[in-house]
Amino acid sequence: MTWNYSKKTMQLFMDAVHGKPGTHMGEIANPDGFGEHGSIACGDALRFTFRVERHPTDPTQDRIVEARYLTFGCTSAIAASEALCALIEEGHYTPIEALKITNKDIADYLDGLPKEKLHCSVMGAEALEAAVFNWAIKRGVDLAALGIDITRKEQEEGRLVCKCFGLTEPYLRRKIKELELRTIADITHAVKAGGACMSCHHAPGGLQDLLDETWGRQAPRPAAQPAPPLERFVAGLVHNGLSPFQFAKKVERVLDEVVRPQLRQDGGDVEIVDIKDNLVYCRLVGACAGCVGASRTIKMMVEQALKDRVDERIRVIAVGGQEGVA
Amino acid sequence: MRLVYADNNATTQVAPEVVEAMAPFFAEQYFNPSSMYEAARGPAAAIAQARATVARHLGAAHPAEILFTSCATESNNTAIFGVVRANPSRRHVVTTAVEHPAVLEVGKELVRQGLEVDFIGVDRHGRLDTTAFVKALRPGETLLVSVMHANNETGVIFPVAELARIVKETDPGILFHTDATQTAGKLPIDLSGDMRHVDLLSLSGHKLHAPKGVGALYIRRGTPCRPLLIGGHQEANRRAGTENVAFIVALGRALELAMATRDADERRVAALRDRLERELSARISFLEVNGQGAPRLANTLNLACHFVEGEGMLYQLSAAGICASSGSACTSGSLEPSHVLRAMGVPFTAVHGSIRFSLSRYSTDEDVDRIVEVFPTVVANLRRLSPYWDVVADRPRPDAEALLTQAVEERRRSLASPHQP
Repeated sequence: MTWNYSKKTMQLFMDAVHGKPGTHMGEIANPDGFGEHGSIACGDALRFTFRVERHPTDPTQDRIVEARYLTFGCTSAIAASEALCALIEEGHYTPIEALKITNKDIADYLDGLPKEKLHCSVMGAEALEAAVFNWAIKRGVDLAALGIDITRKEQEEGRLVCKCFGLTEPYLRRKIKELELRTIADITHAVKAGGACMSCHHAPGGLQDLLDETWGRQAPRPAAQPAPPLERFVAGLVHNGLSPFQFAKKVERVLDEVVRPQLRQDGGDVEIVDIKDNLVYCRLVGACAGCVGASRTIKMMVEQALKDRVDERIRVIAVGGQEGVA
Repeated sequence: MRLVYADNNATTQVAPEVVEAMAPFFAEQYFNPSSMYEAARGPAAAIAQARATVARHLGAAHPAEILFTSCATESNNTAIFGVVRANPSRRHVVTTAVEHPAVLEVGKELVRQGLEVDFIGVDRHGRLDTTAFVKALRPGETLLVSVMHANNETGVIFPVAELARIVKETDPGILFHTDATQTAGKLPIDLSGDMRHVDLLSLSGHKLHAPKGVGALYIRRGTPCRPLLIGGHQEANRRAGTENVAFIVALGRALELAMATRDADERRVAALRDRLERELSARISFLEVNGQGAPRLANTLNLACHFVEGEGMLYQLSAAGICASSGSACTSGSLEPSHVLRAMGVPFTAVHGSIRFSLSRYSTDEDVDRIVEVFPTVVANLRRLSPYWDVVADRPRPDAEALLTQAVEERRRSLASPHQP
């Protein structure tokens, strides 16, 4: 799929991959602020570091003078990382001022992002926030005393809603409100939740429930699937007068006594893949597997032995060897 | 800048001979082949000839077993929904977890309509789990088995002839469909020979140097299958709608051309692909060749680069004039990477970094040279930006090495396949 990226997004990406002067790829050694967001399993990850010019007496007056990133991710994730660093350096912000940079500012800097790619800008804002919290701890700044909610990180270690992207209920509730997410698609575009296996969409306590609880119920849910019928399980219990287990044991015994000694002389063996009523599926293994006449060997030799000694109605079906090729 | 086209599993360049063959059917022989006047005989005869050509190259017993459609997606939909509607007493379908969406999504739709569908998995090389396949078959209950001939992403070839035989030996009442979109014109297909147990086969024009907008569906005589498009009497009442004459002619001509030089093309394309694989493997570390241990189409090379993301590779390649594609999440419109690579258990450190180069008979040594020149730098550029890569040591950082170990271990556990040597 070709994304409709802005010129700015493409330019920032190409500048970054070619390491043009003025780009922000890298990691600051001994940074004043360090924050990460995402993971390789989720498809994008950002490590964000910054350095401040320290104020001699009042750490809250520190100014960010350098911001760097390392990003694993797509074109827009890399461009959003560039945008984040550029916004911060251009603004000459204090870390606390920098907290006001939102994912929307990042998207605006990029002249917009496709809606499916909003999570790239959200990732930038999250990594920035983590880095500022890290700075506050290092510099002994009490963010709570300044009215900034730092407890949310702990709170957000709650029940896991989206297992694929590791997102918790408190985090999702906050994002649904903050970013005014109204539908499951909105949530997925913004924070990726529900974008993979999708089983959390309508699960109890899943995304739809969180939306309903935040905004009020909107639409009826689809009915649950009926359970599969029981008859099939019952039908499998009768087998030529033998239980399926007894039947399989008997087939194995005949193979052991009659068939396998012959095959083993040639360094081969036979395994049972499956049994359905009178159909016995066999695969030749070992030296016999590559044999051109393997199918016919099974058909003739195994089938005759089983017909003679177990049940004359048995039919043997040859299943290909390791390559699955006849 | 010269364009290097290495995305032939997505679509192909139309052969000049094909353009020439279809040209008269626009401004000169534009008549409706169903019309009664003399002038309409030309288009009608051209369709009949194309039908005979396609039938001959597939080994079909009768030209009437070939239906022309608008694309392989229509062929697949017609085949699957058609047999479901014609056989209401059976409600179970078997397919694979790695089908093209034109089959996979139809399978999911059948589940929504109340049928039972088994999606059979593959091993780490992309080979079908034949044990699970056999176990899934239910004599007297299974309606349809649909297994693709070769995978569009990895090029891995499934033993369709043998699977169809197993199905028919299990229960001749089970129908067998194969999506041969990636193999028609590339592999020999003989529906009277080793593929004689296949009932339905789909193919597409634009994967074999015909234009987009035409496909075909083989329906073995006597197979119960209701039409998808209802209306006029075209295609013996099995696919309504005025025939797309020029494109049908194109499909016939394209298949004829492909089969005429198939053996030589396959050898030459395989040599190009093998060299590309060898040279890239020598230049890029932490690279997986997906499907390497399985029989593969000669033209397809699917790679997964650890610790980089596919979309960034495509944009850089594109800037260098190279067309390829990726199974990364960011290129798919979903947030999940390729369902095929996930089914194969490609490690999570590499599954987002997949890239597919697919060649054709028009590919050249210069094309391969250009990719070998550009692609290693593209990967290096992204690894330089990656938080998991140590640029100085040119290998993953220690914590990323641990991720890699974990990823490989996860794959080993999830795919402890009984068929591994």
